[in-house]
Amino acid sequence: MASNTATAQPPPYRPYRHLKTLTDHTRAVSCVKFSNDGTLLASASLDKTILIYSSQTLALLSVFSGHSAGVSDLAWSSDSHYLTSASDDRTLRIWDARSKDCVKTLKGHTDFVFCVNFNPQSDLIVSGSFDETVRVWDVKTGRCLHAIRAHSMPVTSVHFNRDGSLIVSGSHDGSCKIWDATTGTWLKNLFDEATAVSFAKFSPNGKFILVATLDNSLKLWNYSTGKFLKIYTGHTNQVYCITSTFSVTNGKYIVSGSEDNCVYLWDLQGKNLVQKIEGHTDAVISVTCHPTENKIASAGLDGDRTVRIWVQDT
Amino acid sequence: MNAPIIDPLQGDFPEVIEEYLEHGIMKCIAFNRRGTLLAAGCSDGSCIIWDFETRGIAQELRDKDCVSGITSVSWSKYGHRILVSAADKSLTLWDVVKGEKITRTSLQKTPLQARLHPGSSTPSICLACPLSSAPMIVDLNTGSTILVPVSSSPDTGNGSAPPSRNKFSDGSAPYTPVAACFNKHGDLIYVGNSKGEILIIDHKNVKVHGVVPITGGAVIKNIVFSRNGQYLLTNSNDRTIRIYENLLPLKGGLKALDESSNIPYDVEGVERLKAVGGKCLALFREFQDAITKIHWKAPCFSGDGEWVVGGSASKGEHKIYIWDRAGHLVKILEGPREALVDLAWHPVHPIVVSVSHTGLVYIWAKDYTENWSAFAPDFKELEENEEYVEREDEFDLMPETEKVKESEVDEDDEVDIVTVDVDSAFSDSDMSQEEICFLPAIPCPEVPEQQDKCVESSSKLVNGHHPGSPLSDEAGQNGQAMEHAASPIDGMYNSDAEDDGGTRLKRRRKPSEKVLGSSLRR
Repeated sequence: MASNTATAQPPPYRPYRHLKTLTDHTRAVSCVKFSNDGTLLASASLDKTILIYSSQTLALLSVFSGHSAGVSDLAWSSDSHYLTSASDDRTLRIWDARSKDCVKTLKGHTDFVFCVNFNPQSDLIVSGSFDETVRVWDVKTGRCLHAIRAHSMPVTSVHFNRDGSLIVSGSHDGSCKIWDATTGTWLKNLFDEATAVSFAKFSPNGKFILVATLDNSLKLWNYSTGKFLKIYTGHTNQVYCITSTFSVTNGKYIVSGSEDNCVYLWDLQGKNLVQKIEGHTDAVISVTCHPTENKIASAGLDGDRTVRIWVQDT
Repeated sequence: MNAPIIDPLQGDFPEVIEEYLEHGIMKCIAFNRRGTLLAAGCSDGSCIIWDFETRGIAQELRDKDCVSGITSVSWSKYGHRILVSAADKSLTLWDVVKGEKITRTSLQKTPLQARLHPGSSTPSICLACPLSSAPMIVDLNTGSTILVPVSSSPDTGNGSAPPSRNKFSDGSAPYTPVAACFNKHGDLIYVGNSKGEILIIDHKNVKVHGVVPITGGAVIKNIVFSRNGQYLLTNSNDRTIRIYENLLPLKGGLKALDESSNIPYDVEGVERLKAVGGKCLALFREFQDAITKIHWKAPCFSGDGEWVVGGSASKGEHKIYIWDRAGHLVKILEGPREALVDLAWHPVHPIVVSVSHTGLVYIWAKDYTENWSAFAPDFKELEENEEYVEREDEFDLMPETEKVKESEVDEDDEVDIVTVDVDSAFSDSDMSQEEICFLPAIPCPEVPEQQDKCVESSSKLVNGHHPGSPLSDEAGQNGQAMEHAASPIDGMYNSDAEDDGGTRLKRRRKPSEKVLGSSLRR
């Protein structure tokens, strides 16, 4: 990268600029995710469909329909062959991205399924629901291996750590809990406070947990000590379960959506806001970073209904 | 990893049966290096690979040529290959990921145990211990076999393979299988013979380097190394398990043997061998049950070498004895009244897997106790009451400056979110080889429940909920657009409350909800 300052200085931050807007959904978009191999982008919407785009050309490749109610979350398997989606019709579906079929429907939840994730080995799926339980499913047979009465209010976020041994779950009841993935037993409360937790996710190395709470803050916790190390503010987050993520392709940043219709980027170490990306016309509910390129995709709610792609010039 | 969270106060050995696996009649088991996959050899000649995390079948290795019972299963170092020995005298080498047979060799006698060379990831040689014959090194590609010497008597020092015979040169009974195993890196073989001697053999030159005689001279039935290669265990006919400390370095053990020539040259023959042997192994402990004098079955070490486990099948019982390395018996696990056949300790977790003669595989794990101190993140559990001594100024009204001293971590500290900690339990893995930790989980396409093959092969279902029962009025759909029908396994959680007015209360029945094995766990 060209730098016009002295070599000791880090290169100046290059802002992300708008690349494209995808307007194929007919209702609010709830989630966008790049596949782990970076070739595909999936977006889920309250219009009950999941759309798959090529992340290179941003052409629409396929439409997965089958859910009978809106889709709230989706996740890719590690080999990018399978996709799982969580829907308000109380089921989860596993889709084959190559054959474009729904290969499995996972039933068991008794209320809206809100969040879902694969484990790194992609033989387990964890899901969280409005029925206050966290369920772990066997991908191969579709069997529910554990049904955990995890919280006392809807579970808003579930995520596996890097080696698949732990699950973190966040909920509107204000607690963030850590579970053993193999036995489904409760290991630890990361914290238990009054403010609803809207999102929780492990860092790439599994040592830290990024937690968003509905008091306009994002905190990075060290789960073994139970203390938070960094706090990121400036955005608005009081109502929706906005996802945030780590951007590690070109410097370390925290990226998050916001209810003021912008995408926020903070420097991970310095916690300062480096960019506020405008463009959406409604709250930005989900953001995802491409695994290798400096590309971010963001999704907007009902007043917007678009997926917007932002890239960083190099 | 989750190591820091697990409570160190609880002992590190299993306590209760957590679950059992059922698929045909399984006879012998082996974990892969990381314990993520469990291979089980069956009586019908096939080998099942279980995904230990989901407790489901990941792969089935079946060959139409081999229909007789499997006698042993062995993984290659990084899990790419499995060697299976069967009662029809054959050894079959499989490629794990593809599920294809690589090669098959037949021996003259049925191999009771076969171990792949542990040093390489695609080994072509293995150590086979056949019934009524000396152990042999088998080259799986060519099928050639080299007999391993089983005696310390004069025919040592030459590399020629003795002709195969029915009797040993020392005339001992032909039907006692001789036990043998590789050391950790496979450069040496340790043989336990029927005279109660441990022979240390260089298998490339087929040369006996050292001998360690066991007092009493009872026939050695099993000989096994710990996972880290530092301890050796022998199980003898005198119903005693003996632990030896391996004095040789782990890498280059053979070289160290050659160079251990502090022994004067005039010591020759057997005496020399014994002197060398004394430098290789040192007796550490002996275990036996003095009261019941049990013949031990399938003794082995725990993954970290801290515990020794031995099984007992006397009078048809299914008992597992656990000792710590210092020799204290810490636990006796008692299973159902089905004789124990094989036993294995998980390489990493405090889990033991045992096979009963009915063909079921039982998984023993720790009994989970709620750790209430985990409720608040900074709670610490104390063993016993501690007197709290307050500071001199604890109750003083202090200006704020003092209090701030113990504020949290410096918020300007660098946080590293990408570097991964190296797992010390697997420090000897060289990253050049990619290890097979799991087999890709391909979702089985959904089929009408009556024919769902997945049902039979899954692990135990709760409460004998019969397949097909909740579905009678909803049968007929296939796969995709099912709204109401639940697969039989999910019958417990039949969530077709949509239109039925939510009267199915099955879900509410169990306050502590675990789907699987709730009657067995906790």
